[in-house]
Amino acid sequence: MLRITRKTGERVMLGDDVVVEVLEVRGQTVRLGIDAPRSLVIYREEIWLEVKRENEAAALAASAPLPSVRLKGAGE
Amino acid sequence: MSLTIESSRFGRVEIDPGSVIEFPDGLIGLSGSRYALLARDPDTPFLWLQSLDDPGLALPVTNPHQFFSQFTVEVTDEDAERLGPDLTAEVDVYVTVRAAEALEDFVANLKAPILVRSGRGHQVINQAAGCELRAPLFAEVEVETNGSSSSAC
Repeated sequence: MLRITRKTGERVMLGDDVVVEVLEVRGQTVRLGIDAPRSLVIYREEIWLEVKRENEAAALAASAPLPSVRLKGAGE
Repeated sequence: MSLTIESSRFGRVEIDPGSVIEFPDGLIGLSGSRYALLARDPDTPFLWLQSLDDPGLALPVTNPHQFFSQFTVEVTDEDAERLGPDLTAEVDVYVTVRAAEALEDFVANLKAPILVRSGRGHQVINQAAGCELRAPLFAEVEVETNGSSSSAC
């Protein structure tokens, strides 16, 4: 892993059009600002990870066919 | 042009071109960007997102509004831009379902709903308060089971 030391207000470029700026450092907490093209989706890692796991679990858990259930009040 | 795939789960499936959904950013953490929305059984509230890139990948999804009366989706400004204007118009919302042996153990992911409009889909992080990653699916609704369909021994 590349390690870079930065001060508040300093930036890192990822390629030509992604900019990560250190906005604020307070104790154990760092605030980052990220400028990236709209097409690049940015996630907090822990949220990305838990959704990935849930997607994988949904694909694995389902035994076909799923149970036939009818929601009461639905449809008719 | 019709499309046929060999789904691991469903065998040979004819794909109606109208059911194909492009996910420019994929589903979070999964590979592939093209899925078809399959209705395998009209007697269930479930649909399937079958990957067209990976025949072994299919996820059950459902309409969350049928199960959760309070369900809403709020997206970040960045996601709203990505999704384009008039987000609320003509958007179909689905959530993935994690099935289980007992109905009371079924859960739905309200934290990362899938928004579909005009054949394009995005899985977004829901900013609305109280959206659980694993919300019990049948907590609010009453169901009738049609008995015979269970394949358990």
